[in-house]
Amino acid sequence: MSNKKILICDDDEGILDMLEMVFEDSPYTVIPEKNSLNIKSIVERESPDLILLDLWMPVLSGDQLLRTLRKNPSTIGLPVIVISASREGRQIAYDAGATGFIAKPFDFSELMGMVDGLMA
Amino acid sequence: MDILNKFDNGEFAFSKDDIKADFKLLTRALDASYSGIIITDNLLPDNPIIYCNEAFEKMSGYRRSEIIGHNCRFLQGADRSQRARAIIREAVANGEVCTVDIRNYRKNGDLFWNELFISPIVGDDGKVTNFIGVQNDITRRKKSEQDLRAQKDLMEKQVLERTKDLKESQEFLYSIIQTVRESLIVIDPDFKVVSANDHFLKTFKVSLEETVGTGLYELGNHQWDIPQLRKLLTDILPTNNPVEDFEVEHDFPHIGRKLMLLNAHRIELEGQYKDQILLAIEDITERREIERRKDDFLSIASHELKTPLTTIKGYVQAMERMVPKDSGARFLGFLSKTAKYLDRLNNLIAELLDVSRIQTGNLKLHKVPFDFDKMVKETVEAIQTATQNHNIIIEGFSGVQVPADESHIAQVLTNLLSNAIKYAPESGQVHVYISKVSNYVKLSVTDSGIGISPEDQKKIFERFYRAGDIQQRFPGMGIGLYICEQIIKNHDGTLWVESEKEKGSTFSFTLPIQAKEDNEQ
Repeated sequence: MSNKKILICDDDEGILDMLEMVFEDSPYTVIPEKNSLNIKSIVERESPDLILLDLWMPVLSGDQLLRTLRKNPSTIGLPVIVISASREGRQIAYDAGATGFIAKPFDFSELMGMVDGLMA
Repeated sequence: MDILNKFDNGEFAFSKDDIKADFKLLTRALDASYSGIIITDNLLPDNPIIYCNEAFEKMSGYRRSEIIGHNCRFLQGADRSQRARAIIREAVANGEVCTVDIRNYRKNGDLFWNELFISPIVGDDGKVTNFIGVQNDITRRKKSEQDLRAQKDLMEKQVLERTKDLKESQEFLYSIIQTVRESLIVIDPDFKVVSANDHFLKTFKVSLEETVGTGLYELGNHQWDIPQLRKLLTDILPTNNPVEDFEVEHDFPHIGRKLMLLNAHRIELEGQYKDQILLAIEDITERREIERRKDDFLSIASHELKTPLTTIKGYVQAMERMVPKDSGARFLGFLSKTAKYLDRLNNLIAELLDVSRIQTGNLKLHKVPFDFDKMVKETVEAIQTATQNHNIIIEGFSGVQVPADESHIAQVLTNLLSNAIKYAPESGQVHVYISKVSNYVKLSVTDSGIGISPEDQKKIFERFYRAGDIQQRFPGMGIGLYICEQIIKNHDGTLWVESEKEKGSTFSFTLPIQAKEDNEQ
């Protein structure tokens, strides 16, 4: 069992719950976080191996957060998969420096495939 | 004697030394004249007529015996206040020559116009001894003069009426032009403003004085001095290509940042307005803002609707993965149906947003070349997995990269395939044909389903249209094909249908292989 950590940031509790459940059977440890403002400190403390990031969140949006992560040398190469229900999500995500993008609602196998690919 | 002297000077020398014979000859000559001639004796009281020729008798209708001894005034009868009489009176008193047109009356009372020439004869002592009056009946000339004047009056009246009509219709048109809620200005071939309506002045908070006569490009803070607009307007006169829906976003003086829509046409009329340009300007700032807000609202709404949908879908997928071993077929059926309708709900939410954006022209296309055949194969595979009853067969190939928005084209194909399956429930096969035609790729989806009547074929691409007998049997909102057509249209391709009732339908679309230069919105 690997000790790889996935940080999941989404302002919707339903999505967080569901994603936690999805990864229950996976070899990864999940750190769910509802407030995007806390992400920076969690990243510093926990050094996750991958982030699943929502775009539309109050106060600090996913793409803003992603841009700050990309400016920081320690997180410049951190794999970040953006998951969003926004129609322009794909463009916004890649413009901000996302490693991958998955549209909501998503397919389990698609998400798992992408996560596994980046963790390998 | 005067007369003899006159004769002596050689003016009269017809029958030498026979004055009588000469006199007779002259009298005959006078009688032969067409003009009436009289002589008065100014030395006698009241200047009576002492001679008249035959023409005068004929003209006046009086006999010689009724004329001689009378003053000329008897010819005017009771018509005594004529201005001509005063002129004659003055000429006689001063012994001068005069010519007048005077109304005279024949013996039977008929009016005749007399052009009267009066000439005095002055004696050796300087006194006026006689007057000679030469008369011409100018009644006919007077009549035609009067007719002419009447005609002229009539024409003037008509001209006045027509001018009035014209002025009225002009004022009517003017009031329309001043009332319309669109800014209108007319510019001459040198792009100087010739006129501007009230709405223009009101919209831009300017006065007529600072507008009319000024060059279009010098107006305000040079808001219309845009190279692209200059070119379009310069091209209008020689090519007659109108400027259509040209958008100008600018920080205008007095009114701030606004979005204006410009339409310009050359005036086609021959004559003084030829080659002027009519420019209509519409403030679409608010309209655009409302459209934007509607798009934003639908964007947010669809995002918010999709969020719980994502959670539900996640749980349904989780359930599908951990189905208890002893679950019956019914349970599995419920699960797969739930998953299927979740996908439909997701599509409907996406369609709503698409329709709104297409309407406002805000559908964003990310055109990147992609492998057309591969896209078709993947899309068909995805649909095939979810369909047990139908076999989707791909035939042909294009072998090209198409510069288009792949996800939107896949959306169109998915929609066409879903329709083919949905509306042909009894048939087992759906055919997909791919080909390269000239510089286009062509894709056709053929089913052997219920078909579409010719009347419905015209309407199925309209928004919210659902073919009449379809409503009860097949659910849907009726926006799928509308979106498909708009997407293909936005790619400069065409989407069309060929169908026969009860035989089946073929939906085809084409896409250009080369990207158009100006297709970036």
